[in-house]
Amino acid sequence: MPAIDVKNLTKIYSVFQKEPGFSGTIKSLFRRKYQKIKALEDISFEIKEGELVGFIGPNGAGKTTTLKCLSGLLYPTSGQISVLGYRPWQRQENFLKEIAFVMGQKNQLWWELPPMETFLLNKEIYDIPQSQFKKALADLTQLLSVGDIVNTPTKKLSLGQRMKCELIASLLHSPQVLFLDEPTIGLDVVMQSKLREFIGEYNRKFGATIILTSHYMGDVQALCRRVIIISVGQIIFDGQLSKLVQKYAPYKLISLVLQKETEVSQILSFGEIKFIDFPRVALKVSSKDVKITATRILKELPVEDLNIEDADIEEVIRDVFGNKG
Amino acid sequence: MKKYILIIKNVWSEMTTYRLNFALWRLRVNLQLLTMYFLWLAIIPTSGQFGSYNQSLMLTYILGGALLSTVIISSRSYGVGDHITQGDLSNYLIRPINYFAFWFAQDLGDKAMNISFAIFELTALFLILKPPFFIQTDPTFLILAAICAFVAVFLYFFLNFLIGLVGFWSPEVWAPRFIFIILITFFAGGLFPLDILPAPLYEIFKYLPFTYLIYFPLKVYLGQLYLQQILQGIATAAIWVLILYLIVKFVWNRGLKLYTAYGR
Repeated sequence: MPAIDVKNLTKIYSVFQKEPGFSGTIKSLFRRKYQKIKALEDISFEIKEGELVGFIGPNGAGKTTTLKCLSGLLYPTSGQISVLGYRPWQRQENFLKEIAFVMGQKNQLWWELPPMETFLLNKEIYDIPQSQFKKALADLTQLLSVGDIVNTPTKKLSLGQRMKCELIASLLHSPQVLFLDEPTIGLDVVMQSKLREFIGEYNRKFGATIILTSHYMGDVQALCRRVIIISVGQIIFDGQLSKLVQKYAPYKLISLVLQKETEVSQILSFGEIKFIDFPRVALKVSSKDVKITATRILKELPVEDLNIEDADIEEVIRDVFGNKG
Repeated sequence: MKKYILIIKNVWSEMTTYRLNFALWRLRVNLQLLTMYFLWLAIIPTSGQFGSYNQSLMLTYILGGALLSTVIISSRSYGVGDHITQGDLSNYLIRPINYFAFWFAQDLGDKAMNISFAIFELTALFLILKPPFFIQTDPTFLILAAICAFVAVFLYFFLNFLIGLVGFWSPEVWAPRFIFIILITFFAGGLFPLDILPAPLYEIFKYLPFTYLIYFPLKVYLGQLYLQQILQGIATAAIWVLILYLIVKFVWNRGLKLYTAYGR
């Protein structure tokens, strides 16, 4: 049985529309206009136990809505969801004890108190035995290299330190399924990569099933072999990252360093020019012709250096969304 | 159970981090109390009478009212509305915790802290002002008054929670709360005993829940009611608790459906 099984999930919000200004407020008291917004339309996917899957998509694509449906915060309009065999929206105690939902923009730590107080409270909320609590806390603080800051009031912590503590608070009960909504939002590059390492490590060490949403392709590239791309409430791709590139970017990049200036028209005969600034040139070349083209270039152009690269994943995805409008 | 004790403890730690804030709050409460105290001291001369109150009974009512307000009105559950409108509620829905009990524990923590200060302050006032205080010696009245206060705590909790639930429908949770505070100040009898108002008015008040928050328990303490009246009062208050509980539950379920339908 897959850990997460979603079938034909549709979620429609009806949003109350208010005209601007005071007269709008008065009008809305008597007659309310509702607009139906389809956040998710007929999406289906399965996630196996222990998988780490990345959800990507532009703002408002439905990533967070999907996570909210999976964690039981949203009631689906239609379709079936099963997480570890539970119906999430029933929010049964045993289900809640098996999951964690980390929302990058929401705090669960008590603001005035050191994170340790929240940890201790969570220990009681989740009925974590003392020995297990101690071990989990030691593991997590070590994995995240969090030291004494757990005894500093939360309000005095930096964003990165706080995010780490949020993660610890959410993971103390060793959830089997973990939903991470923009866990690296607002963090600097060093902290981002540390957090990524941690998420990967956590997945390997505990075999937890993890779904991650992010705006940063870096997060997904570093962590997830499988990605699900959502755009305007629909899944437009579900599979391995490398397949995504094959499907949407059937080209490679050949970057050259030339010995001397060459006619642009001559370079153009090898492929589409992506970038040119003598002596550097980058060419987009169809994947299947890449070998032949490279050989021809070496023969016909005054090449100092030649490099073949995969298409930039971020760009590929931008193209994908671009096509969707 | 231990989680709720921890919540109470956390509330205390939080309150001690905002020491100045808390001290100023207590100062405000005490200034208000002193104003009322000297006002009634001036209105009723030593051997005078005001309605069914002589000076001693009235001053006891005022001081007792201050203590009782601390027990019953002190709360944190005014935060329910903000939780809902700002979406923090989500954090609690995804954890195996009873949201009502979570707030009730916080309220208890807040009350305990306020009570300990109020007792200290009232003792000080007592020693300085030496008011002619009426001390109830009949254990029957004492026990009944304690029962009334106990019921009042729940009465207030559900009223307060209900106001917060407005957040499911409107982001303006503070407007109804202000109205609620005004109602409480006047109708609960914290400022003056309700039975100095014209009798027909009190006949109406008798059926409102507010009356049972402060006025009624104090009246029982003063021993000014017959046993039958007391039992009737307790029954009315208990029925209100039940009604409010059912309303809160109904509204909560409706609101939650909305919340989990729209998301926030």
